[in-house]
Amino acid sequence: MNGWRERAAQGIFALAALVSALLTGSIFGFLLFFGLPLLTGGRLTAILTQPWAPYQGAYGIAPMLAGTMAISLLAMSIALPLAMGCAMLISLSGPGPTGRLLRKAVAMMTAVPTVVYGFVGIFLLVPVVRQLFDHGSGMCVLAAGLMLALMVAPTMILFFCDAFARVPRDYGLAVLALGGTETEKLLYVTLPCAWRGVLTGTILALGRAIGDTLIALMIAGNAVRTPTSLLDSARTLTAHIALVFAADTESLEFKSIFACGLLLYLFTAVMVVGIRAAGRRRPGR
Amino acid sequence: MRRRMGKLLPLFAWGSTLTLLAAIMTIAGYLLVEGMPALDRTLIFGDTPPLAALLLRRPVFGGLLPAIFGTIALVVLAVAWAIPLGVASGIYLAEYATTTAKRLLDPAFDILAGLPSIVVGLFGFAVTVFLNRHFSAALHPCLLVSSLALAFLVLPYIIRTTQTALEELPPAIRMTGPALGASRLQNIRMVLLPQALPGIASGVILAIGRCAEDTAVIMLTGAVAAAGVPRSLLSQYEALPFYIYYISAQYTDAKELATGYGAALILLAICLALFGLAFWIRKGLDRRALAHF
Amino acid sequence: MDQWKIETETLSFAYNGREILTNASTRFTENAITALVGPSGSGKSTFLLTLNRLWETLPGGSLSGRVRIRFDGQSHDIYEPGYPLDRLRRRVGMVFQMPNPLPMSIFKNVAFPLLLAGERDRAVLAARVEEALRRVHLWREVKERLNDSALALSGGQQQRLCIARALVPEPEVLLLDEPTSSLDQRAARAVEELLVNLKERCTLLVVSHYLDQVRRIADRVVELSDGAIREGR
Repeated sequence: MNGWRERAAQGIFALAALVSALLTGSIFGFLLFFGLPLLTGGRLTAILTQPWAPYQGAYGIAPMLAGTMAISLLAMSIALPLAMGCAMLISLSGPGPTGRLLRKAVAMMTAVPTVVYGFVGIFLLVPVVRQLFDHGSGMCVLAAGLMLALMVAPTMILFFCDAFARVPRDYGLAVLALGGTETEKLLYVTLPCAWRGVLTGTILALGRAIGDTLIALMIAGNAVRTPTSLLDSARTLTAHIALVFAADTESLEFKSIFACGLLLYLFTAVMVVGIRAAGRRRPGR
Repeated sequence: MRRRMGKLLPLFAWGSTLTLLAAIMTIAGYLLVEGMPALDRTLIFGDTPPLAALLLRRPVFGGLLPAIFGTIALVVLAVAWAIPLGVASGIYLAEYATTTAKRLLDPAFDILAGLPSIVVGLFGFAVTVFLNRHFSAALHPCLLVSSLALAFLVLPYIIRTTQTALEELPPAIRMTGPALGASRLQNIRMVLLPQALPGIASGVILAIGRCAEDTAVIMLTGAVAAAGVPRSLLSQYEALPFYIYYISAQYTDAKELATGYGAALILLAICLALFGLAFWIRKGLDRRALAHF
Repeated sequence: MDQWKIETETLSFAYNGREILTNASTRFTENAITALVGPSGSGKSTFLLTLNRLWETLPGGSLSGRVRIRFDGQSHDIYEPGYPLDRLRRRVGMVFQMPNPLPMSIFKNVAFPLLLAGERDRAVLAARVEEALRRVHLWREVKERLNDSALALSGGQQQRLCIARALVPEPEVLLLDEPTSSLDQRAARAVEELLVNLKERCTLLVVSHYLDQVRRIADRVVELSDGAIREGR
């Protein structure tokens, strides 16, 4: 009766999905289009390894890559144990009010805007770091890493908790029935069964840490140098884009931010593919 | 060894939880202490009479009103672009897509969801530069560009929440319409979508929160420090998160800095409130689902 | 011999990898109540879904063979490519084990099939709703609160509402999946009585676990087990 209407609706829905998907591709296309002049003719290796010295014609983004890695890995190494501990506590306290309240608090923390972390970082954390270590302005890898850890930890906790909750209850009951404690249950059953979820949560959090702009931009100092200590100022790929985008659009300097964008894009793609591959292989029996 | 583990593990768990809570409390407390004194009429309206400012009769200088209006305009526009496209895509994924189609589309949406917001902002900026160069020199970064870029940023959220809200409907509900002769489209329109609405709504609210807090996209696509209340889609505009970022780097005196604290506090409150709202809607959803069985 | 209404021919159906029917050929008599019994888990409920092709709305089913249903004296192969599903499902109604009122008012629930068919005339809707509710003896109980949510009704009332709703499109076949299992005894008896009265206008297939119920209402009993449909005692 309304055959054409059904078909038209299906066509519209399919078109919407196609447009949304093509958008992902066109983002890559635009980044490539703008960044291409910098990537051809053997300049690719140069841009990935050279230092940043626009006045000498060197537009390498190696220092930014190093800055991104230093800050996000520091953040992860702080956030991972914190998140693990907190997720364990939620898991150990079971369905009681402590666990529920804690979960709610953690979920709320994911709503805090990153610019707020950056703002408080500048005026609260940076002065403390400056006075404590008496080194430079206090805007450094350490300060950014600490704030970033605080930003990604809640996401990790929620992910870990979900992974723990997916472990079949019978496994845990078996341990308890044998006289094991809640702690032993967590340690010998829940954790080993949930490692895949833990890994996925960690990768996602790493992605958020690498992709965050504002915290590093506001409190890492943005010096274009490969950081050699936690107290060195550093610039991330994301902050570099935010700082340079207003340059002359014909300059190579401007083009270099598209190299940063491409790098971030590729990283995201690899992460997504990795997580999908990890998810597909079901844990053995 | 095992004994010691049994004691150390809870200690570690409590230790890390308390550290985390202490840190977040410090941040919230610090903002409250520093920001509360700034919260008054002049923070929002400057020296302009509130009514005249709200009716846009007189411009506001030194107040947050233009930034608040800018953020509202930005969020409304972005969500208005993202909802039709996102919900339609979500419906396609949940109700029409074959396994093969899903296998092809899923990675695209996952990548879009994982892209750093600065990359999405860079895309918006690049497209604007491209169009400016090849089509119309009148096109510059502006409210329209920002809202479109933000719409791309939250599109995957809306797609995924629509998809899951539909897919999670129990088979009993799914079959009710067809059993009475409903066509696929009728079933979607009259049964499934109304049932999935709370789930979709909570996703949209989270998307609103994301639009309200994002700074990286808008700093590349048209947000500026002083533009007044936005007058047109093609004009530059002010926004709360950008204002906070700008003040943190460019404040000239203590009074200006105080408005930064006030703005941060307001933005934090908005985001927490939106999150709470989404949480509440979803909780009502769970309760209803339970009551059904 | 009575006229057949539904005929399956070498029908095989698997759901989520489980073989439910293998090469089953059987017939169901017109204007009679056929009770479908069998061990739990044998797939009785899923079998019903093959007769209105509702299994196609769920993932994991696969089917081969034929199902014919006689509409207006003519045999229709319902698995023929392009066979109109909405018409099929209006002619083959279904009532589920759990009452499944939609989260709308009582009135809109019963009027829903008419709304689907594009009927917008308030007076027609009201008349048809009243007729259907009277037929399931629910009218007196709900006529004062037709605009209340259907979810507020008791279980027995909800199930009768669902039967009323299923009757609105005037189906020729009614599939019922353990329609009384979620009801108390009194409500169950009321539904049973109703089914017996419906025989004149419908062909009924009832999945049931209760032997005494089968004995009370069924004209014929078939058993589904090990992928085959056999004549019951």
